[in-house]
Amino acid sequence: MRVAEARQVCECLYLGVKLDGMTPAVHPNVVGVGLGQKLARSQLVEDLCLRFYVKQKLHVLLVPEAERIPVEVEGIPTDVIESREFSIWRPIPPVYQRKVRPAMGGLSVGHYSVTAGTLGCLVKDRRTRYILSNNHVLANENRGSEGDPILQPGRFDGGRLDRDVLARLVTYVALDPDGVNVVDSALAEPHSPDDVTSDVLNIGRLKGTREPQLGESVRKSGRTTRLTKGVVEDASATLRVGYSGGSFVFTDQVVVRGAGGGFSSGGDSGAVIVGEDAKALGLLFGGSPFFTVANKMTNVEKALDVAVV
Amino acid sequence: MVSVEEVKRRHEASLLRTAGVVGVGIGQKDGKPCVRIYVTEDSPKVLAALPLTLDDVPVEIVVSGPFKAR
Repeated sequence: MRVAEARQVCECLYLGVKLDGMTPAVHPNVVGVGLGQKLARSQLVEDLCLRFYVKQKLHVLLVPEAERIPVEVEGIPTDVIESREFSIWRPIPPVYQRKVRPAMGGLSVGHYSVTAGTLGCLVKDRRTRYILSNNHVLANENRGSEGDPILQPGRFDGGRLDRDVLARLVTYVALDPDGVNVVDSALAEPHSPDDVTSDVLNIGRLKGTREPQLGESVRKSGRTTRLTKGVVEDASATLRVGYSGGSFVFTDQVVVRGAGGGFSSGGDSGAVIVGEDAKALGLLFGGSPFFTVANKMTNVEKALDVAVV
Repeated sequence: MVSVEEVKRRHEASLLRTAGVVGVGIGQKDGKPCVRIYVTEDSPKVLAALPLTLDDVPVEIVVSGPFKAR
């Protein structure tokens, strides 16, 4: 009984828990009070003591006398344990949604005013290496301007302008609401070539580009559903695809069905569709409840005048 | 006989104007090439308006749901 009372008194005086007949107070360094055995150098010293959990354990001479934790409370010895601050366990996000340098294909990326999409892969022209993704990921559906900051991870994954800018928007293929579109693609130039690598997470290096074949097995590595496998069901589709700014018609598209589950979801846009021979076949940009749609990578290379690295 | 690609090209514009149709493509049905018509829902109203063959090429109706940017 004496022990329970002593603990209540400490909870009141150090953590601010209300107790009849006492004035609650909060001690800045104490984050918890409990009961347990007291050990010193792994040896049992006391069977029962009051445990004071503190943010930081300090030498007694560094603590003002008024803030010192007493050696005993109502005859019960005390112990001081450094525990830092207690917090709820937040789930650690998968690596696909975290900041990674050098950045690579498969990771979360996005224009600073877009939620998040996927970094596809690196591409190059005669002089420069760029990161490739969709217009609606890197250029915010035609609304972006040259030089706009590109975050990795994307804004939805905690990317911030003051520390997570990976690249600047260079160019995009404008989406045409009235005509027929072939690609939804854009390029951004990394601030430093050392901030990117030509790997695709969980897939590895790409070995060039080719046309997809009907019925072939493919995979992709993307921000939301990570590594998934599927089959090409259509390699020359003309589709109407909904965007935030209306619906656009796309022709010469690839339709993929997931093998044993979905192949993609929101946030996977920009991922590269890869064949079993490690060739880049498509650039994922949309989907329906049952299918994923990708531009042909050969068309993407042509439209932006670049080659997959 | 004209190619499936040619048949698809000939008909895709009018098919895409049909209510409930969101796409036209090319796939395989029983090992043979076919024209795929993607529709938003499996409803008799939508399906009744669609052909079973196009210029002798078989048609496969695919219920895809609406396509959206991801």
